[in-house]
Amino acid sequence: MTWSSYLPLWPLSVSPALWLALSLVVGVLVGEALVRYANLPRIVGYIGIGLLLGPGGMGLIPQLPAAEWRLVVDLALGILLFELGSKVNLRWLKANPWLAATSLLEAGASFFAVLLFLVWFDIPSVTAFVVAAISIATSPAIVVRIVTESRAQGQVTDRLLLMTALNCIYAVILYKIAVAFMHGETGTDLVHSILAPLYLISGSALLAWLFGVTFERIHHYVGRHEETFSFVLFGMIAFATIMASTLKLSPILVLLAAGLITRYQRQRPRSFPPHFGSAGAVLVVLMFIANGLAADLSGLRYGLLVLLLIVVRSAAKLLSVLALGHYSGIGVRQTVALGIALVPMSSVALLLTLDTSTMFPAFGAGMGLVLMSCIVILEIAGPIVMQKALKAAGETPEEKT
Amino acid sequence: MSLMPFASSRPLTLGVELELQLLSCNDYNLVSSAPDILRRVAKHTHPGDIKPEMTRSMIEINTSVQQEYAALVEELSALRKTVSDAGRFLNVAVAGGGTHPFQHWSEQKIFDAPRFHYLSELYGYLAKQFTIFGQHVHVGCAGPDEALHLMHMLSRYIPHFIALSASSPFVQGHDTGFASARLNSVFSFPLSGRAPFVLSWSDFEAFFAKMTATGVVESMKDFYWDIRPKPEFGTIEVRVCDTPLTVEVAAAIACYIQSMSRYIMVEQRTPPEEDDYLVYTFNRFQACRFGLEGIFIDPRSHERRTIREDITAMLNRIGDHASELGAVEALEQIRKILSAGNGASWFRRTYAREHNLGDVMQLQAELWMGN
Repeated sequence: MTWSSYLPLWPLSVSPALWLALSLVVGVLVGEALVRYANLPRIVGYIGIGLLLGPGGMGLIPQLPAAEWRLVVDLALGILLFELGSKVNLRWLKANPWLAATSLLEAGASFFAVLLFLVWFDIPSVTAFVVAAISIATSPAIVVRIVTESRAQGQVTDRLLLMTALNCIYAVILYKIAVAFMHGETGTDLVHSILAPLYLISGSALLAWLFGVTFERIHHYVGRHEETFSFVLFGMIAFATIMASTLKLSPILVLLAAGLITRYQRQRPRSFPPHFGSAGAVLVVLMFIANGLAADLSGLRYGLLVLLLIVVRSAAKLLSVLALGHYSGIGVRQTVALGIALVPMSSVALLLTLDTSTMFPAFGAGMGLVLMSCIVILEIAGPIVMQKALKAAGETPEEKT
Repeated sequence: MSLMPFASSRPLTLGVELELQLLSCNDYNLVSSAPDILRRVAKHTHPGDIKPEMTRSMIEINTSVQQEYAALVEELSALRKTVSDAGRFLNVAVAGGGTHPFQHWSEQKIFDAPRFHYLSELYGYLAKQFTIFGQHVHVGCAGPDEALHLMHMLSRYIPHFIALSASSPFVQGHDTGFASARLNSVFSFPLSGRAPFVLSWSDFEAFFAKMTATGVVESMKDFYWDIRPKPEFGTIEVRVCDTPLTVEVAAAIACYIQSMSRYIMVEQRTPPEEDDYLVYTFNRFQACRFGLEGIFIDPRSHERRTIREDITAMLNRIGDHASELGAVEALEQIRKILSAGNGASWFRRTYAREHNLGDVMQLQAELWMGN
C-alpha cells in the first residue's frame, strides 16, 4: 500500500459540482442576508452570487458543462412556467376584453419599439427582429418567484401573471418565426421557414394538451395527498421538458400551455406548495445561480445601445399599459406599478439568446452580447423594481407593527 | 353630542344591508379588492347603495326602503348582479357567508377612510378580526316608543334569526363546532350585547346622555348591540344575522322578521319584561353553537324546545300577517331552511364532499353570484 492509494493527490482535482454546491450554500445565505438587512428579494442574492463568482465576475467557478446546466435550467424553468400557467385564469379575458387588448398592445409596442429602434441604429433587420421578439417576454421566473416570496395578491398581481404568461407565448412564437427568417437568409427554403413555426406551435399545443389530460387523471387518483402528488407532477414536468426538447419543440411553450390548459379545463384552482415542493425549490435556486454564472457583461462596451434598448423596451411596456389601464378597471397608481413590474427579463430571454448564439455565432459575438447585458441588468434590477412596484400598489401584506 | 330625534318611518317597511366577501379567483382566499370593485360599480347605475366596510376584502350592499318580499328580492338581485359583474371584470369572486373559513385576520388591510382608521386605532386587532360578514335588517317604526317596544319584544326571538342565517362554521382553517362563529367576534367588543331595558324614548335619551357624559360613546354607531334603534332612519336594526349564502334567503329572513314584527305590533298584547332577558344569553349561545338544533328556553313558561320547534310554532302564528305583507313565499323559504338546513350545514356537507376549503369557497361564491 502506498500513500497515494488512500490520500488524495495534490493539487486536488475537484469536479465542477463542488463549486456548484458551494455557490448554492453561499448564494442562499447571501439571499437571506439581503432579505433581513436590505429588504431586497432573495433571488437578487442568487443571481448576484452566480455573477460574482462565475466566469463573468471573479472567475472562481469555472465554466460549467453546458449540457448538465441546461438540464437544471430547463427543469427549473419548466416548473416555474407550469406554476405560472396554473395561476392564470384565461376565462378572465372573456369577462374583461380590455385585458386582451392591453396584452396585445403591450407586446406589440415592445416588439415594434425595439425593432424600429434597432433598425434606426443600423442593426440588420433580421437580427433586430430576433432581438425584438425576445424582448417581448417578461421573465416568468422572476414574476413567479417575487409574487410567491412577497405573497402579493390583487389586481396588479393577477394582471402581471396573466400578461407575463401571454407575452411569453407571443415571444416564443415570434422568436421561432424570426429564427426561421434568419435561416432563410442564410440559405434555406421558404417552405421550411413557414413549416418550422407551424410544427412548433401545433406540436407544443398537442404535447401540452396531453400533459393536461394526464395531469387530470393522475390528480383524480392521488390529488388528495398533496406531497405524493407533487412528486408525480415534478416527474411529469421533467418528462414533458425533456420530451419537448427531444421533439425539437419549445419546452417553454409546452409547460406554459400545459399550466394554462390544466387551469382552464378544471375551472377550479388548486394550491400547491411553492415550486411543487422543496425539490423544485432547490432547482429554482440553482437556476438563478446558473443564470448568474452564464451572465456575460462584455456587451457593456456598447453601453449606450444597452442603455437605450432598456429604456425603449421599458417605455413601450409602461406607456401601452398606461394607455388602457383605465378602461381595464384599475387606477393610475396600479397601472404604473403594472407597467414597471412587466420590465424584468431573465431565463426565457436568456435561453432564447443562448440558443440563437449557438445557431448563429455571428449573433453571439455581436447583438447577442448587447442583449445579454440588457438581460443581466434587468435580471438584477428587475426583481427589486417588481417588489417595490407590488408594494406601492398595496398588494403585499402590510408590515407588522 | 345628544341623540338625534327619532324620525318617523312607515311601520313595517324594510331595509337590508349585506356585508359580502371578496375572494381571489386564484385561491379563493379573501382579496383586498374593495377599492377596485367600488371604482368599477361607480360607473354603473344601480339601485340601493354599495359601500366600503372595515377591511378591504369586504363590501356592503344596502337596499332602499322596501315593503314586500318580491320587490326586496328584485332589488337585492339587481345589486348582486352589479357587484358580481364588477367582480367578473376584475377576476374577483363575491360570496355570502358569515366568516371566511381560512383567511388570516392579520393579513387583512383596513379600508382607507378616517372612521375605519379611527376604529382600527381604538380596537387594535379586533378591527381586523372584524372581517366578518353580517346581514342587518331595518324595520320601520311609527315612533320611538314603538321602536323600543318592538326591539325588546324581538329580543326574545334573536335565536331564530341567528339559527336561520347561521353560515359561519369555520374560522382560521378549522371547524369551530359553531353554526355561527361570527358572533363570537362581535361579542369581544366592549359595547356589544343588548340594549338596556328602557321602554320610553325619553328614558333612552337619558341613558344615552349619561353614556356620552362618561366619554365612552359618541354616537349610536358605537353600540354594537344585537338590536339597536336607528333614530335617523326611524327604524330598529336587527344585527345578529350572518350574511346568508343567497339573496333569496337573505330576503326571506328579512321578511320573517317583518312578519313577526307585524304579529308583535298587532296581536301580541303582553308588554316586554326585564326578566325576559334572564335566558337571553343562554338562548343566544345555543343558537350560535347548535343552530336550529339548539335549545330554546321560553323566558315566561320556562318550557324547553329546540329552536327549530320554536320557529315552526312561530311560522304557524304569523302566517296571516305574512299574507297581509305579501311575504308568504318568504315563509316558504324559511320552512325550506328548517328541513334542508342553514348555511352552516350546507358548508359542512360541502366540505365533507370536497375536502378542500378553497373549493368550498368557490362553490359558495357560485351560489351567491348565481353562475
